[in-house]
Amino acid sequence: MSALYIIAVGLGSAFLLGLLNERQRGLAYMITLAALTIMSAISASWLLIFAATGAHPIDILTAGTQPPFAINLRMGLVESALTLLINLTGLLAAIHMGDSLLAKGRRAMAVLVIAIMALCGIVLTRDIFNLFVFFELIVIATGGLVLLSDADDNGRAVSAGFKYLIVSQFISILLLIGIIFAYHATGTLNIDGMAEIVGSGIKPELATAFSLAFFLMFIAVVAELKPFPANGWALDIYESAHPGFSAIFSAATGSAALFAVDKLLLIGGADWLPVATGIGIVTFVGANLLALPQTNDRRLLGYSSIAQTGLVLTILGQQDILGEHTLFIAGGLLFAHAVAKAGLYWLSDFVATRSLTGWAALQERPLLVFAFVTFAAMLAGLPPFPGFYAKWELVHILAAEGRLALLALILFGALVEAGYLFRWFGYLIKREPDQEVSCNTVQIIPVFAAVLAGWALGFVWGELSGHSNLLLVLPLLFALAFLLLEWAPAWFKNTLAIGGMVTFFLQTYAEYDPLRLIFAVIFMIGGAVTLLASYHAHGRRIGFYPAAMLMFAGMILLIRATDTFGFFASWELLTVGSYFLILRGKHSEPHALSYIIFSLGGAFLILTAFALAAAAVPPAPTFAIASLGELVQPVAPWVFLLLAVGFMTKTAAIGVHIWLPGAHAEAETDVSPMVSGILLKAGLYGLFVLLMTMGKQSLYGVELTYVMLWIGAITALLGNLMAIFQEDAKRLLAYSSIGQMGYAMFGLALMNHLGWLLALMFVINHYIYKSMLFLSVGGVAKRTGTREMYKMGGLITLMPLSFIATLIGIIAVSGVPPLSGFGGRWIFYNAILTADSRLPMVLIFLAGPIAFLYLFRLIHTIFLGQLKDEHRRIKEAPFWIILPQMIYVALLMVVAVVPGMVLRHVDAYISRFFPEGALNWEGMSITSQFGYWNPVAIMIIVGVIFMLLFSWLLFVNRKAQKVKQFNIVFSAERPFRPETTHFAWNFFAPYRKAMGFLVQPFVTRFWETVTDLLHTAADITRRLYNGNGQIYAFHFLVFVVAVFAMKMGI
Amino acid sequence: MAHFAMATGFLLILIGAWGALTNRNLLRMIIAFTIADSGVNLVIIAVGYMHGRTAPILDSAVAAADAVQRIIDPVPQALVLTAIVIGVGVTALMLAYVYRLYEKRRSLDIGDFTELKG
Amino acid sequence: MIKRLIALALLAAVGSVFATLLFGYTPDAVLNLTARYYAEHTAADLGAANIVTAIVVTYRGLDTLGEVTVLFLAASIVGLVLAQGTQKKPRTPVPVGELLTTGARFLLPMILLLGVYVFVNGHLTPGGGFQGGAIIASGILLLLLADPLKHFSHGLISAIESVAGVIYVSIGLAGVFLAGGFLDNRILPLGTLGDLASAGAIPLIYSLIGLKVGAEFASILASLSETEEL
Repeated sequence: MSALYIIAVGLGSAFLLGLLNERQRGLAYMITLAALTIMSAISASWLLIFAATGAHPIDILTAGTQPPFAINLRMGLVESALTLLINLTGLLAAIHMGDSLLAKGRRAMAVLVIAIMALCGIVLTRDIFNLFVFFELIVIATGGLVLLSDADDNGRAVSAGFKYLIVSQFISILLLIGIIFAYHATGTLNIDGMAEIVGSGIKPELATAFSLAFFLMFIAVVAELKPFPANGWALDIYESAHPGFSAIFSAATGSAALFAVDKLLLIGGADWLPVATGIGIVTFVGANLLALPQTNDRRLLGYSSIAQTGLVLTILGQQDILGEHTLFIAGGLLFAHAVAKAGLYWLSDFVATRSLTGWAALQERPLLVFAFVTFAAMLAGLPPFPGFYAKWELVHILAAEGRLALLALILFGALVEAGYLFRWFGYLIKREPDQEVSCNTVQIIPVFAAVLAGWALGFVWGELSGHSNLLLVLPLLFALAFLLLEWAPAWFKNTLAIGGMVTFFLQTYAEYDPLRLIFAVIFMIGGAVTLLASYHAHGRRIGFYPAAMLMFAGMILLIRATDTFGFFASWELLTVGSYFLILRGKHSEPHALSYIIFSLGGAFLILTAFALAAAAVPPAPTFAIASLGELVQPVAPWVFLLLAVGFMTKTAAIGVHIWLPGAHAEAETDVSPMVSGILLKAGLYGLFVLLMTMGKQSLYGVELTYVMLWIGAITALLGNLMAIFQEDAKRLLAYSSIGQMGYAMFGLALMNHLGWLLALMFVINHYIYKSMLFLSVGGVAKRTGTREMYKMGGLITLMPLSFIATLIGIIAVSGVPPLSGFGGRWIFYNAILTADSRLPMVLIFLAGPIAFLYLFRLIHTIFLGQLKDEHRRIKEAPFWIILPQMIYVALLMVVAVVPGMVLRHVDAYISRFFPEGALNWEGMSITSQFGYWNPVAIMIIVGVIFMLLFSWLLFVNRKAQKVKQFNIVFSAERPFRPETTHFAWNFFAPYRKAMGFLVQPFVTRFWETVTDLLHTAADITRRLYNGNGQIYAFHFLVFVVAVFAMKMGI
Repeated sequence: MAHFAMATGFLLILIGAWGALTNRNLLRMIIAFTIADSGVNLVIIAVGYMHGRTAPILDSAVAAADAVQRIIDPVPQALVLTAIVIGVGVTALMLAYVYRLYEKRRSLDIGDFTELKG
Repeated sequence: MIKRLIALALLAAVGSVFATLLFGYTPDAVLNLTARYYAEHTAADLGAANIVTAIVVTYRGLDTLGEVTVLFLAASIVGLVLAQGTQKKPRTPVPVGELLTTGARFLLPMILLLGVYVFVNGHLTPGGGFQGGAIIASGILLLLLADPLKHFSHGLISAIESVAGVIYVSIGLAGVFLAGGFLDNRILPLGTLGDLASAGAIPLIYSLIGLKVGAEFASILASLSETEEL
């Protein structure tokens, strides 16, 4: 079927609709759907042909005359894909708007069909004046549909439509003047003809006139993209029109207009590419910033649409360096945007109120939540969707060409966009729903068609990417399979998850080197053990398993990754998975948001670093991580710096740590150990890989590992300091994690054998004791209903097993003999004796006793002391929460007695990098150059001392008198704040007086100021859009004049 | 001749644009746009004009054989027809809008329709 | 005031672009590539005496189809919008003078005839479907002025409009099968240059356009006249 039939069918059926009786609405609707289906089918058949055969585009003549003398159309791969997008959007919108269309009658349907036809016309035509005609058709059809979608409203859409028409009039005046003078200068109206004439050199006396004419045409067509800030006229339409139509306006109109700009760039040539880039990037960043303070969902989507269009325009402007990749990148971003935006607009119809928080209504419907997640992930460019692959490719090429400023702006805009999208998702999941979801079955069809299209596009782009298709990677597929199992009970899914992880480990463990094996054990076996605690959950626990398994899949893929692409993809996967997991906590909405923003920011740094690295080494289809080591000055230190900062956001180094306490503390009982004990290790793994491949780097004479050493030391000190002032037990543990990660980083940054051994020791130990402590504290919190320590006390007799776990845990953490923590310390002391960085060493030494201060409170305040009246009847924590703790206790014992079991292999492995200073693992004791450590002997000695003291205690206390807890007299006064009378409240007040200045939330305030500034800037800019259509016409003219001045200035 | 028509056309466009930018009354704005549209049409026609030639119609006065030397450029004339008709369509649509706006608000002042903003 | 100053400044900037275009403009001395092709080939290829018509209906027929669609859209939307506002209330029109009534009765047939003449001869003389259609619509306007209560059958108008549109698209498609492509007029014999029955399908298409445009304008006028005053 010739592509011409798309237009003929569209027009014919529109005219046919006019023939029908006003009452035959059902028939009219059928004709409408049939026409749109046929149009879609024609596009689809062409797309299949072009995709399968790679055939050249086909020119379709009209009037039996060759171009440029008659109008011709062209159908090629791009055209077929775009018209398919447009026609399908139209079809689905018609399904979505069914009720409304039936109420308005055949004429409204005719307007819709003509609008879709005209959009296809814009894509297909190769004639500049014909392009104008189709644009005007769009203007009138848009005006009409907006006017019609307002019948039950208060006239807001009508005034929005009028503003649109005012600016459209100005646009068409400029376009017509441009076209006629371009015609005069070139003697043709054919786009390719014009491009040819311009390419072969236009007559000098006509050159000025032509460049002005081209400017007018170009700016008019670009204006159809609603560039920032001349776009107030279009935003009102997004906000007020029927969402079914807004979907078309966003997805289809934007795509068609972008293609029109591309055609014009064909005429304009390389001179105009920077202009397109400039307008595009200003639009992308500006519109995203302005989306930030929006509260109306549809207006926010409007801003986001404009931003995405701006991004694609930027890419069109970069086609001089993107070359053959332009299609892949622009297509990936455009299709992801179009599908997601259309889906979100359709979804918005189910939400009764127009505020972002009103979307909480969806949380009762897991399927709709899944749809939202799909769309948000597509917009944010997360794997496995097309935007991810496109982003990867784009960043690499920009880095290779040295266009770093543009690269930074794009990533900044993308981060802002991710910020408001995830904030919105947080509202959706965590806010109280105030309204019911209103949707009928038919309206769900378009939404899920969009969801399916999104995943299908993800698959296609994965295939086209030249990298591994993420949707074919086993661990990810396993995680996604849980989406299909959401109906099953939690225990079943839990068993499956544990089984899957253990099986995968058994299948693959032989493939890892000793270092990776340690991480593999923690990620897979450790994950499985932690998941045992999840058996305590009842019901179906919807949303938990896909998220958790996504995180684990990401971590597993991370250690299996050999090239930078695989590494980055898995990094994003584990980030997203853990975000969903963290968001599940009761009050975790703001913390999950700051987590994802910091993580994505870190991820972007990593991406940039990989791109810079790949640019510095001769091109290869993939860049192996091992090749990082081949980098030389001047790129190498920058790559190192970006990667290090990126990984440190994950390990919560000081400065970028503010997300961690809330995220870890507010998470669910079994999630806290996962994100603390396991997930943090992903960041350490990254640092290991970084230092292993790149070694020491110095920038401007500063040795970067030395800076890292300082950061590690300060993080350890401040993390521990902040921990001692916490009242909340889980927050205390969270801050303690910051400190522990500081130790590990310090060890790594020592860059010697023992330092690394120490870091690995921390990897293992921290996993075990932090998982255990989070579980036992979580179990206590579950039973007592609070996490404030001063509200607890005396639980030792009621929850003895939790007590044992906590006791063992804190002995291990604080690094006193006999448990494994001491092993860590011992290696640590040896390590710093071999290094020459004395000052940070002092800080680390200081941090040690501080750790003991806060750890001691866990025992002292929770388990010892007086039992609270309301806690008299509580029981031991649930079996499934206790079980993994007991496993950890056993593990700690084993590691304490025979640390060499694991570490001697690693020690040997590290010797490859640092042959100096290896330990001697002969017999039962471990020998370094400074001394030896015999764990078994220590264990025995400590055990003996303990037994002696314990029996002595029993002996002297044998005559002690037992007093019942409430055998005392209260004084009459009731304090205003009861907790102030509790001895455990503000326990370390004297220390706070002495060292409190160190734990002032400077960093938090800094980041708050940054976000405030962004919001303020956006709010001031918003005032430009004062709602007056005439002012918007001013904006447009100012935009035209400004671009003109800048272009002529260039 | 062509320059004179073209200058008039540009002037009409500017007058129309001025009217659309400074009048707050919706109907006046629409009239301003029709003035600007007329200016555009005049410019288009002026671009096709060639001195000393005649209309592109082949009849007893212009034989098909020497048409190349005798007629003016027919393309702008064809384009202007399309431009005029489109202008009519847009004007009709805008008038329908004004009708609807007036029906809702009883006002014709563009400043009264600013409830959507920011 | 500030607004006016800004407007002045902006228009001065736009005006300077226009001025550059104006002063840089020199009329062509010879026909350019495209125009030359039309001058040389129209008579032989399409058989139309009016080259502008040949361009409008055939060479750039897709534009014209779009144009007709623009009018169709405008008529549909205006009809829908005004129909929604209509309440059937008896209206008391201003009394119409004898002069107008008689004059309308006398002039109407002639106006309609002129309109038909203009679009039927569109391929030979200046004029064509749009012009003819507008003339017909002016007759309808006269009729409405003479008899404001006159009720038009919207069904008939929209039937004419739609049938003309469907036939137009069908003739265009016939070109794909019977001649060189969409909207090719050579599905009918070209005849002798200058005859009424010449130029293949051009007169047929232009007549359809004339009917359609006339019906669309009439529909807009009728909707406006039936609308209650606000």
